[in-house]
Amino acid sequence: MKIWSTEHVFSYPWETVIKAAMRKYPNPMNPNVVGVDVLDRSLDTEGRLHSHRLLSTEWGLPGIVRAILGTNHTQTYVKEHSIVDPEEKKMELCSTNITLTNLISVDERLLYRPHPDNPEVTILTQEAIITVKGVSLSSYLEGMMARRMSANARKGWDAIEWIIQNSERENVPLCDIY
Amino acid sequence: MNSVGEACTDLKRDYDQCFNRWFAEKFLKGDRSGDPCTETFRKYQRCVQKAIKEKDIPVDGVEFMGPNKDKPES
Repeated sequence: MKIWSTEHVFSYPWETVIKAAMRKYPNPMNPNVVGVDVLDRSLDTEGRLHSHRLLSTEWGLPGIVRAILGTNHTQTYVKEHSIVDPEEKKMELCSTNITLTNLISVDERLLYRPHPDNPEVTILTQEAIITVKGVSLSSYLEGMMARRMSANARKGWDAIEWIIQNSERENVPLCDIY
Repeated sequence: MNSVGEACTDLKRDYDQCFNRWFAEKFLKGDRSGDPCTETFRKYQRCVQKAIKEKDIPVDGVEFMGPNKDKPES
């Protein structure tokens, strides 16, 4: 099992960042995400918005890799639960893979909040628990996955910035692009 | 962005536009007046649930792992 965590600051206020986070896909930095669907959405008794989403990712795995993994599917699926608290200004996302679970488990948690030292900017805390199962060299593979996640995290931050800047440039409010 | 069910992409787009507008202009501004997107969501959901069944996507089988929980194999 490997635990990985990181922090990033966006130079935009919290509302701007989470509007972008809600509309993160598609973006040029994450071309592997090919489908996003909302499965459920509701407000709880405290006025927080809960969303359950399904993401499909296409890694373009060559046939031989798929044969080794024992899968005919080219797409992997991730389930995500997010909670937006507009009073406390917190957006939390938890995601987990729901395919290839016999091989690997990646549980990720992201939390967007106004920065405690500067409420005009937003801090993102991101952490993941990675477990590779049933394979020797599992700690090596977990280390590799953690490095891959660091690289992907950077792409994710760039993606949020891209969404925000593309909305600003076109002078369009962050709601009518798609 | 496409839906996981190709046939649902247009319905998804309609719902997303409605939701994004409500999210930015009402929800984040503390306006708790009704959700204008329920009908669009219903149509979109019917399509998506059908696609999930057809593609056999295991959406119900997995709980988010805590440190000591194990996922069912799939």
